[in-house]
Amino acid sequence: MKKNIVKYYPLIPVLAVYLIMFLIGFFMPGMWQMVALLAFYCALGQSWNIFMGMTGYVDFGYVTFIALGTYGMSLGITYFSQFEWLGMGIIVIGLILAMFLAALAALLEAAIALRLRGAYFAIACIGINEGLRYFIEGAKIWGGSEGLIFFGALTQSLGRETVNQLTTFWADFSVFVIAALAAFLNMHYMRSKIGYALTAVREDEDAAKVMGVNTTKYKTLAFLTSGLLGAAVGAMAWGLKLGHVYPGDVFVIHYTIECIVVVLLGGAGTLLGPVVGGLIYGLSKYWLAIIMPGFQLLIFAPIIIIIIVAFPEGVIGVLKQRVKRTALEKYIV
Amino acid sequence: MLKVENIESGYGSMQVLWGPSLEVKKGSITSLLGPNGAGKTTLLMTILGSIEPWGGKITYEDREVTHLPTHKKVDLGISLVPEGKHLFVDMSVHENLVMGAYRKEALKNIDDSLELVYSLFPVLKERDRQKAGTLSGGEQQMLTIARAIMTKPKMIMLDEPSQGLAPKLVAEVFETIQKLEAEFGLTILLVEQNVVASLNAASYVYILHEGRIKVEGNPEDIRGSADIREAYLGI
Repeated sequence: MKKNIVKYYPLIPVLAVYLIMFLIGFFMPGMWQMVALLAFYCALGQSWNIFMGMTGYVDFGYVTFIALGTYGMSLGITYFSQFEWLGMGIIVIGLILAMFLAALAALLEAAIALRLRGAYFAIACIGINEGLRYFIEGAKIWGGSEGLIFFGALTQSLGRETVNQLTTFWADFSVFVIAALAAFLNMHYMRSKIGYALTAVREDEDAAKVMGVNTTKYKTLAFLTSGLLGAAVGAMAWGLKLGHVYPGDVFVIHYTIECIVVVLLGGAGTLLGPVVGGLIYGLSKYWLAIIMPGFQLLIFAPIIIIIIVAFPEGVIGVLKQRVKRTALEKYIV
Repeated sequence: MLKVENIESGYGSMQVLWGPSLEVKKGSITSLLGPNGAGKTTLLMTILGSIEPWGGKITYEDREVTHLPTHKKVDLGISLVPEGKHLFVDMSVHENLVMGAYRKEALKNIDDSLELVYSLFPVLKERDRQKAGTLSGGEQQMLTIARAIMTKPKMIMLDEPSQGLAPKLVAEVFETIQKLEAEFGLTILLVEQNVVASLNAASYVYILHEGRIKVEGNPEDIRGSADIREAYLGI
């Protein structure tokens, strides 16, 4: 039993960071929006890292899941808000729909794209993402390119006061919960048979197969977990919070790239990495947008390049080397 | 123990194996010889299921396993020492061995297996904390074989284990293979280009050429036939 708890020690710093962020946002006036943005990046980084960090497969189409999560929530609210007796139930339905769409996409994508490796896998994922976007626009399903606008429907069925609270507090709060859940799952996978299997896949997939690892099963499991978490973030932080969805806004590769940057900054395949990466990325993006509006990307790009060249293993990768054989070792993973 | 009948397979639309058949008897060393491009590696990959067979039949311990996925075949006790080592280079020697004991039954016997491989390869014991990628070529080959033993196999297929090794190390590898058969009763299917050493070690030999079995027989017969030697083995 004690051994079981010890293996979750590295979760302590991660959850502590989330708690501090939450407290700052909650008690310091004017900080909530920034903290919510940081939590968003941390949660996405952590979710993306579960698949990429452990298998080494770079999923460039990851935003597909975030987008489908957003659509799930939007569809749930749009079509079920007419049943007044459902009350808050429409959000639960939205979340279930988000999970369902993401699971369907993850399994389909796993069946097609996970047969490929390296650049081919990355390109196939982008292809699926773009395909879905143009399918929704072209086939005119789910509102087509005009999207779904359901803020009004939400207000009508739940009342202005409740909706206000939902969009300004609970939507962001749930992102914290998802981030913590992602950290827990990541840790759980790392310290179980699943983690061994996936690490073997990352190091040498052919050798892993020869060892008797059912690589397809474990890759699909990690892909599905990562996708579902991303969809949950999308459902809450984009769907519920914004009250509208347009295909051109959500199926955007740019967000995948942000995930990649967050993870690489912090350290791929580490637990604490996406949190640190999310903080660095979110804070500097926020800050640069204030002091140099319009120029942030121009400045940001070289900063990222410098950090990645200087610390190819990310901040946590470097830190891990430093604390080796010290008391801190078992907390930094 | 293993019977392959008229197996056909290949890559994409290119057929590599044109129906070779072979049999590996329990507790023996069977050697598969042949020039580059004959399809030796493809045959091993097809037996293990990494390449899906197009036709033919594979029987293992009286059970048809033709289309079983790789991980299930490993569960039945078939192990492959892949060509070109395929180690987990960033993991330590010890971690590589533990990874070998991935399947359930192997995990139960992990301590015994570790003791066994460390007694077979004392050099690995000395270097158990070292990263696998930093071992010498010969040691890496030892580790690949050791990792295959960790899966608790009944049959080991070795794909060119002496490739790229110095002559002294080649002799050592062959010694180990013979030891596995003689002392631990393992069944071995050995793919090699080193004709002389294979003929000495094996109890039965197949020669694969352009995807077909051209000749089979006892090593003495093969060594004795000048035609075969000249046509397929170049010695």
